[in-house]
Amino acid sequence: MTTLDSLATQALALSTGALLVTAALLVWRRSLAASARVLAVQGASLALLVGAIALEEREVELGVVALVVLALKGVVIPAVVARGVRVSGVQREDAPRLNPTAGLVAATGLTTLAYLVSEPISAAIAGRGVVASGPGAFAVPAGLTLVLVGLLLVVTRRRALSQLVGFLVLDNGIAAVAFLTAAGVPFVVELGVSLDVLLVALILAVLSGRLHAVIGAVTVDELDELRD
Amino acid sequence: MTPLWVQAAAALLAVLLAVVAPARLRGRLAGAACAVTAGAGVWGGAQAMAGGAGVLVVGTALPGVSMTFAPDRLGGLFIILAGGVGVVASVYGIGYAAWAARTTWAGFAVLLLGMQLVPAAGDVLGFLLPWELMAGGSAVLVLAEHRTRPSARPAGVWYTVMTHLSLVTILGGFALLVVATGGQDFATLATADPAASGAAFVLLTLGFAAKAGLVPLHVWLPRAHPEAPSHASAAMSAAMVKMGLYGLLLVTVRLLPGGPAWWAWTLIGLGAVSAVYGILQAGVASDLKRLLAYSTTENLGLMVLALGVALLLRPAAPVASATALLACLLLAVSHAAFKTTLFLGAGSVLHATGERDLDRLGGLVHTMPWTATTFAIGALGAAALPLTGGFVAEWVLLQALVRGGETVDRTVTVATPLAIGVVALTAGLALLTFVKAFGIGFLARPRTPGTQRAHRAPVSMRAGMVAAAAAVVALGVAPGPVAVALARAVDVPVTSTGVAGIALPGAGPVLDPALVAALGLGLTVPVVAAVLVAARRAPRVVEVPAWGCGAVRDDPRVQYTATSYAEPLLRVFDDALQPERDVEVTHIAESRYLAARVAYRQELSDVVETRLYRPVLRAVDVVADRVRRVHNGSVSRYLTFAFGALVAVLVVVAR
Repeated sequence: MTTLDSLATQALALSTGALLVTAALLVWRRSLAASARVLAVQGASLALLVGAIALEEREVELGVVALVVLALKGVVIPAVVARGVRVSGVQREDAPRLNPTAGLVAATGLTTLAYLVSEPISAAIAGRGVVASGPGAFAVPAGLTLVLVGLLLVVTRRRALSQLVGFLVLDNGIAAVAFLTAAGVPFVVELGVSLDVLLVALILAVLSGRLHAVIGAVTVDELDELRD
Repeated sequence: MTPLWVQAAAALLAVLLAVVAPARLRGRLAGAACAVTAGAGVWGGAQAMAGGAGVLVVGTALPGVSMTFAPDRLGGLFIILAGGVGVVASVYGIGYAAWAARTTWAGFAVLLLGMQLVPAAGDVLGFLLPWELMAGGSAVLVLAEHRTRPSARPAGVWYTVMTHLSLVTILGGFALLVVATGGQDFATLATADPAASGAAFVLLTLGFAAKAGLVPLHVWLPRAHPEAPSHASAAMSAAMVKMGLYGLLLVTVRLLPGGPAWWAWTLIGLGAVSAVYGILQAGVASDLKRLLAYSTTENLGLMVLALGVALLLRPAAPVASATALLACLLLAVSHAAFKTTLFLGAGSVLHATGERDLDRLGGLVHTMPWTATTFAIGALGAAALPLTGGFVAEWVLLQALVRGGETVDRTVTVATPLAIGVVALTAGLALLTFVKAFGIGFLARPRTPGTQRAHRAPVSMRAGMVAAAAAVVALGVAPGPVAVALARAVDVPVTSTGVAGIALPGAGPVLDPALVAALGLGLTVPVVAAVLVAARRAPRVVEVPAWGCGAVRDDPRVQYTATSYAEPLLRVFDDALQPERDVEVTHIAESRYLAARVAYRQELSDVVETRLYRPVLRAVDVVADRVRRVHNGSVSRYLTFAFGALVAVLVVVAR
């Protein structure tokens, strides 16, 4: 194993750990501004993950993708969320359906589930490519955990912006799994997906602001009345 | 494969022109592009029937997934059918839909392209994608006049729902076959074991029967056809529903030949019920386009009956089986010709008078001679009278049935006479129906002022109608070459004989309409001449004003109407049709012996719809109401459902 490979492995392990820790932090913290900062760290970790894969595979194109991920998920999208927080003037998630402690317990349960479920995926990719040889296969459960925790956030939070954060975590998880299992996603596909997510983030941030302006609340529950 | 590209390019151009061309030129430009699309279809179909179409593989956005187009002879026949109807309908549409909306022309182009690509498909994806193109385009057309006619909306909903259900079952059927054989191109699917493909057959038959408008899946047809613009109704009725037949042929002849006998019985049953029920409803309908739509159900029923008979007879009587298959194709071609003529004629009537209710028409033979003549020819074809394609087709079908009965198989010897009975009953009722359609609509005196002001159709409309009517007559007078070409599509030995007559396979019977016509003329001309001479010698009839005891028929309301003409039929089949009659008598206040007003109302609804669909829909409504209680409008709750479902699935997977 060359130095480069060992560096890549280290980076992969570090980014995986960072992804998990940020996910836990997001469940724990209720301040929206802090959530946006944690989200930026998570986006950067995802970019690091992609970069590590690029290093292992020696693919320049994937390196470019890593930079794009860093720009979009590490900078632009968290900035959009932070701006949304400033505009709507809501600083905290007041009354989540699940208190932080219970949320952390649930997240633990989901992590365990993700670990159990992703065994066949890890086994399937363990045989091929450098990514899969060691920590690569090990990182798949982390990606899946991100997906589940993201969903948990979406379900348990009441504020539109917190739900947006949950959605972004979910998307980060999907991206992580995609990069790990497919050993890199085609540039065009990644670009398309990322732009879609950016669009969703923009729309939701604007929607949250408008919601606040129109009905004086940013709790999604207020939308009950809209059903037919 | 050039025709395919031309078709696609021309259809794209038509859509483009429909969208961007100024309203003044839209009909002409888009119509011309549609005609080119359809013309390229005829060209491609001819190439396929000659056996030189080749294979085209089109990649999709997904890697490793592609569509194949490889039309065989049978497919080529249906491409020609769709293309031929398309050319005529497009030319007609230039005049008829000159000011139609953008979406109407765009939808029409998409419909044409879809219909021409479905039979060209060489694999499942290449079949389903055009199938949806066809469904989408026609759904737009059904809704085309939703602004002026509110009834178009429910028709659109019915059509969309039925066509989607049909897609779902077809998809399911193909999926079963793909799982069984491990490939999605038709050559691989053909390796499936018919004996083990019963479920696939049922699903596919359901889907294709819905598209073909067979009872009890026909409910969309009498609603959708009348609502679409007439050139589109013609294309839908004459060509689009045939794709359902093509699907059935594809399954039973190309992919899974040699299926068990119950397949044949299923098709025979479907066909027989559809034929009789369709023509009964047509016989009592007074809306001209609704009548034609029900007649489509009848004709498709006959075709499927012929197909079923062909499958049933294949082991016992191969020659008769081949004849029945030929009859099926002949019925399809002749129906395409006469139904185009009839729908275009109905469109001209609608265009000129704004009426399609037969009870309000009449006397059009004087004001619209072209339309009347072509409609009459189409009506002759629909009634299966000699010198039209309809007669030839039904003759071949009856020959197949008669000769198929000469076997030792007991079930077959019972089935064929019953089938003959069905065909005979339908033929009789069809005659009555089309006598009504022509006699009430075009003869007699105008029943409403709007009918009196009827004007002639524009040139392009007349051209379309004349071309279609010419096809009806050509098929009837010179069926030989057509039959030979059709027979080659399904490998049946048929020869042309005499003056373009048909000689059926085996030492079969011969039909030579041209000779028969000559013979008929030779016999009738002297008789008619003699009668005329005799009439000349007889004393002249002098007309004098009568006393007026009902003999002076000034009021057009005294005439026979479509409803009164069909009344005896309605009484005979009262149980099957179940009309709602309502007599409301308002008495004078002082005396109950004197009536101030008597109102009579009679309504005919589709029995299948009221007895089969309404209860199902009501049950679905009840269930939906229950389910709605769970949906309280809370977004979080919906998200929780999704999350819970995901976790549950993962837990199940992890075990």
